[in-house]
Amino acid sequence: MFPQFGATAETLSKASTMVFRIGTDAHLYDDPDDVNIAPLLDSKYDSEKCEALKRLLALIAQGLDVSNFFPQVVKNVASQSLELKKLVYLYLLHYAEKHPNEALLSINCFQKDLGDPNALVRAWALRTMAGIRLHVIAPLVLVAVSKCARDPSVYVRKCAANALPKLHDLRQEEHNSTIEEIVGILLNDHSPAVVGAAAASFASVCPYNLSLIGRNYRKLCEILPDVEEWGQIVLIGILLRYAIARHGLVKESIMSSLKCSENFHAEKHVSDDNMGLGKESSDSWAYDSESVNMVFRCYIESPDEYLSRSSYANRASFELNGAQFTSGKTNDDVKILLYSTSPLLWSNNSAVVLAAAGVHCIMAPKEDVKRIIKPLLFILRSSNASKFVVLNNIQVFAKAMPSLFAPHHEDFFIYSSDSYQVKALKVEILSSIATDSSISSIFKEFQDYIRDPDRRFAAATVAAIGLCALRLPRMAHICVDGLLALTRQGLFLFSYFVLSVCLDRIKVPAARAMIIWMMGEYSSLGEIIPRMLTTVLKYLAWCFTLEALETKLQILNTVSKVLLGATGEHLSTYKKVFSYLVELAECDLNYNVRDRSRFLKKLLSYNFVSEGVEEITCCHVVVDCIFKKQTREVKAESINYRVYLPGSLSHIVLHAAPGYEPLPKPCSLLLDDFNKPEGTCAIVKGAGDHGTSSDPSDNESASDYDSQHSFTGSSSGAHADDNESSEGNENPDPLIQFSDIGNASEIQDGVFHSSPANLGEISNRALESWLEEQPGSSNPGILEQSQACKSLARISIGDVGRRIKRKSHSLLEAANGNGLKVDYSFSSEISTISHLLVCIEVFFKNCSSETITEITLVDEESNIASNDDVPTLVPMEKISSLEPGQTTRMILQVHFHHHLLPLKLALFHDGEKLPVKLWPDIGYFVKPLPMDVQAFADKESRLPGMFEYTRRCTFAGHIEERNKEFGDSLLNKDKYLAICESLAVKMLSNANISLVSVDMPVEAKLEDASGLRLRFSSEILSSSLPCLITITVEGKCSDPLNLSTKVNCEETVFALNLLNRIISFLVEPAY
Amino acid sequence: MLQCIFLLSDSGEVMLEKQLTGHRVDRSICDWFWDHVISQGDSLKSQPVIASPTHYLFQVVREGITFLACTQVEMPPLMGIEFLCRVSDVLSDYLGGLNEDVIKDNFVIVYELLDEMIDNGFPLTTEPNILREMIAPPNIVSKVLSVVTGNSSNVSDTLPGATGSCIPWRAADPKYANNEVYVDLVEEMDAVINRDGVLVKCEVYGEVRVNSHLSGLPDLTLSFANPSILDDVRFHPCVRFRPWESHQILSFVPPDGEFKLMSYRVKKLKSTPIYVKPQLSSDAGKCRVNVLVGIRNDHGKTIDSITLQFQLPPCILSADLTSNTGTVNILGNKTCSWSIGRIPKDKTPSLSGTLVLESELERLHVFPTFRVGFKIMGVALSGLQIDKLDLKTAPSRLYKGFRALTRAGEFEVRS
Repeated sequence: MFPQFGATAETLSKASTMVFRIGTDAHLYDDPDDVNIAPLLDSKYDSEKCEALKRLLALIAQGLDVSNFFPQVVKNVASQSLELKKLVYLYLLHYAEKHPNEALLSINCFQKDLGDPNALVRAWALRTMAGIRLHVIAPLVLVAVSKCARDPSVYVRKCAANALPKLHDLRQEEHNSTIEEIVGILLNDHSPAVVGAAAASFASVCPYNLSLIGRNYRKLCEILPDVEEWGQIVLIGILLRYAIARHGLVKESIMSSLKCSENFHAEKHVSDDNMGLGKESSDSWAYDSESVNMVFRCYIESPDEYLSRSSYANRASFELNGAQFTSGKTNDDVKILLYSTSPLLWSNNSAVVLAAAGVHCIMAPKEDVKRIIKPLLFILRSSNASKFVVLNNIQVFAKAMPSLFAPHHEDFFIYSSDSYQVKALKVEILSSIATDSSISSIFKEFQDYIRDPDRRFAAATVAAIGLCALRLPRMAHICVDGLLALTRQGLFLFSYFVLSVCLDRIKVPAARAMIIWMMGEYSSLGEIIPRMLTTVLKYLAWCFTLEALETKLQILNTVSKVLLGATGEHLSTYKKVFSYLVELAECDLNYNVRDRSRFLKKLLSYNFVSEGVEEITCCHVVVDCIFKKQTREVKAESINYRVYLPGSLSHIVLHAAPGYEPLPKPCSLLLDDFNKPEGTCAIVKGAGDHGTSSDPSDNESASDYDSQHSFTGSSSGAHADDNESSEGNENPDPLIQFSDIGNASEIQDGVFHSSPANLGEISNRALESWLEEQPGSSNPGILEQSQACKSLARISIGDVGRRIKRKSHSLLEAANGNGLKVDYSFSSEISTISHLLVCIEVFFKNCSSETITEITLVDEESNIASNDDVPTLVPMEKISSLEPGQTTRMILQVHFHHHLLPLKLALFHDGEKLPVKLWPDIGYFVKPLPMDVQAFADKESRLPGMFEYTRRCTFAGHIEERNKEFGDSLLNKDKYLAICESLAVKMLSNANISLVSVDMPVEAKLEDASGLRLRFSSEILSSSLPCLITITVEGKCSDPLNLSTKVNCEETVFALNLLNRIISFLVEPAY
Repeated sequence: MLQCIFLLSDSGEVMLEKQLTGHRVDRSICDWFWDHVISQGDSLKSQPVIASPTHYLFQVVREGITFLACTQVEMPPLMGIEFLCRVSDVLSDYLGGLNEDVIKDNFVIVYELLDEMIDNGFPLTTEPNILREMIAPPNIVSKVLSVVTGNSSNVSDTLPGATGSCIPWRAADPKYANNEVYVDLVEEMDAVINRDGVLVKCEVYGEVRVNSHLSGLPDLTLSFANPSILDDVRFHPCVRFRPWESHQILSFVPPDGEFKLMSYRVKKLKSTPIYVKPQLSSDAGKCRVNVLVGIRNDHGKTIDSITLQFQLPPCILSADLTSNTGTVNILGNKTCSWSIGRIPKDKTPSLSGTLVLESELERLHVFPTFRVGFKIMGVALSGLQIDKLDLKTAPSRLYKGFRALTRAGEFEVRS
């Protein structure tokens, strides 16, 4: 309103910050090197030295290397000023490793400081000395630490405990026993603060030496509530490991379900009586024994180990016998652990609460586990960041014991301020803890969530409603009715879609029948459903013979209803399906089905002739009469594969982080161990010892497992774009295929009867993967990706093949070659000689008026060296003669060894030698690797993180093309299609790859091409490693587009080079 | 354990790096992080744990400052996050707020604090009281002094006595002429009212804040008249667990100064102090909005600073909203904020107007959620009452004060 005032206010605020900045170190941060630092360091005044060091610190903070001042700084270590000392220490620790020799100069000072009467000085000296990390001084540090471990000051002893991991980190074997001895001394300290720090160093120095804990176990438990919060987190974990290694699992705990699955159900009912949670909840104490079993097993074994074994169908090899269990009621060690951790559930620190909750979940008798519920729910409110982590853990607890969380469903109702991940997790938890009594209020909430502006979340909610219906068959009608209401509004067509997806999962005939009825009833609703119907009907026809009676009848009804309502293009397909079904039904074993089929056949054949209205209503009456609602038991969905210990990092990132250890094997710690000399590793390490050495590829195997479940075959939803739809209708083969079904419908033109199995298999997989996909169940990266895929429609581009133009390069100009012109282009052919060779098409053209003879191309350096790394040329046949004007095509095969430098060749003709250069193209060091989208996504998920490179660029190819074609009949050509085609052509013309899929977001706006995604796959010639390329488009259709190109490949260097090449050709203009 | 901590400004600039262990983390990880933040937008910003190609990252964002910690090995993620939260709390306490300038201006203090708070990747001293004794917070006096004299040290010469005691939160032996204890009940009401106008959930998160200025080593007990209404509690480390377990009595030796003694929550409350009735109807490319706000039941206390905020749906072209009380502002990010203040006696505040939808839209399908703010002084809506506060070793004169305050937390009305 009053800009001049705004300006004044701004200047004022500037001025006021200037005032506030006086006296701070602002000027040092802003211009750290505006004065010469070196003389300041040598100044005789402490204040000047301080200033110099502050400037150095500012430079460090800004990421500059100021290690060249090291010698001058080290001198100041002897200063008496504590502030100066502190600053010197900060500097020293930052650079000590770079200047070991100069750092040694400071040792004497540290030694002296260690004897200082001021505890603070001693502690700082010890911390810095240990932090310098020089192997030479390790013995000195060790002596200092052992001296400080007996220091009168608690603070110094605490620092001594913290110094031990630093020493251990130097990996000097000879010191290990001494270090462990000091850990033992410090664990026995009477001050809780020291014990906490000692616990932390125990965990990083010698986590397997549980006999050290055994000696002090009781005392540690008693001191636990007084230990500092950070120490508590670590100590709880150590005590838990000890208790399990020493005494085994607790008979009354949930973990005991491991004991044997046969007893499980009997035991379950006993425990339910103990629960005292009222009749209703004990009825629904229905955790999925198998999945819970698996998760808990993974706590003890490493998940990799367990999963790999289970894949060999050899689950029985790991048996827990009765001896590995103890009773939580009689065993004092277990009791004291639970007793001392229970007040920690009230801790202010959410990490402590979670750690304590983990202990109770694993060790506490079932009837006591409920005490962890409220604290867990309380820490949900601590901070936004921890909310996500806590919810991830609650998710597993809730799946293992839904009845405990069921009364607290209100805590999982979302707030609009929650982030998407938190919302999705909450909805998933809600769907897993819903009970018959709470479903109505939960469902009411869900109905609100569906209207959330965040479409991803709305979709997640619809999926959650589906899950609720599966879990609570008795209440399924509420869920289905609700979805139905939505369908009726035509607002959320994808709810219909979800139902059809559910179809494959729901095995209960009644439920299937109900959904099939819905399909029939709402077959003509909206734009998408009619197009989906063909495939759904085909699917139904395929599985007809396997269905139950009820479902069969319903299928017949539905098909006839669809047929009645059908018009236009699909009518013939429906008719075909119908007659196929009737044929099948007439031979059915059940007379009801035979009867129905004959009846419908008669009815409809009449109908086709007369098109009477009465018959239709008549048919509907029949349909309604026959339709009955029944619900039966549905098997609960399996648990997500969060198989890592609660509260661990691995649990959140969904793969075993380096250093992750499952719980020790129960009872692996024997009593004799106490008598053994200490220092020997007492506990049998779990076979899953992939601990610290685990490298990324190790992690792959674990995350693969998850990704199978989190992967979505990109699935479709509603598409609102009219332009697009009409385009699709005109095309003989649909432009947009809704991909779940899309996979299947590719076969639609083939002989329908001959490939039902195949059809079923594909759609099975696609449907399943869609349903399996649950928000939050995948690791962040994959989550993003799967979410992005969620509402995509697949576009099939007509034959781009014929538009591909390979780029021709010139090897020799006619002017230089006495009339011989040689061009080459990289060919997509695969060499027949060796898979390492790249084929190059070479065209020799005689532009002169005389015949050229004896043309040949040879490797210029072939005679020099024939070692493996130099690019080599497979000798070429000689062209004996080339008539004027004649062109000859030859195939040249070269082994480039991934060299990107030009290959020097010598061209001989007529006895003359001409040097030429052949420029390799990395785009042809690969060959196409055809695969379907699912395989692509599967491979992609195995190549995360460091195997993934992304670069951005702009692309204007489609505009050039449009300008070129302006005036042609292509004016009304679809813009999306044009973009897709021009991108695909560009890619395929410049690299030897295959197009996997083209996806576009369903909710795309008219002009907005954002979200368009092309996937290409290839295989590196030399190593046969897959190399996946994904291009994601952003921007408006008519403007230059922003492309983000991603390459996933195990050979990272190759991937980078390839990516650079792709970017360069995408950017360069087409013609 | 944590390997490195970075402080990033809201533009992605690395303001500070502190290497914690010998395994140095290159700051290129921040570039990676920031690239991904830019490319993935808010979805990464809201992810507290990120698996980058080389490190696992924990992030906490406070007032535009991103605290980023890196580790390569397994550790409890909540520990990393809690620690970062603690660092940000301490820094904002020291520097009187958090922003880019204040961190850069006081980078030496930030370094000194970080060095004291974490050693070799494991938290060392995180108790604010002790930290204050070890490293003096910047204040006007020290600033002026440093300008005048040219030098002043903010690093304490000796070790605070509390580091050695078994009550590390309490500075050793403070002396006060007037012994005072103030107890505040600060409550936040969370409520969700669904589209049908039904109160879906209503609960109170409360804190017992204590400000104590007591000489010597005081031992306090605090008891409530109705502790049974508390659904769950969390305590400051100074609270002894056993008396609470047996008698629901808080027995503690308080830290000096202000601290949060306990937080609690009370669930399943029956009503909210104010009502908000949104009515939205949408057709013909428009959406009519009408919102009424009023007092539901009188607590006898005035309800202050009532505000109403909602996010306009993205497909809105323009909004014309007026109110009969208070002011309506539409902020840049399509947030409409209506600040009412106090509800006048003679009329019911209402907000009405129309939203114009984008041209191709006929109706609005997504209605906004209204976030309500209010403040009531002098009443704890949970109904929790303090019974008495006793000091075991009573000094001659002890002044005790009690206050209560309730404000809206996550108070949402869906429409």
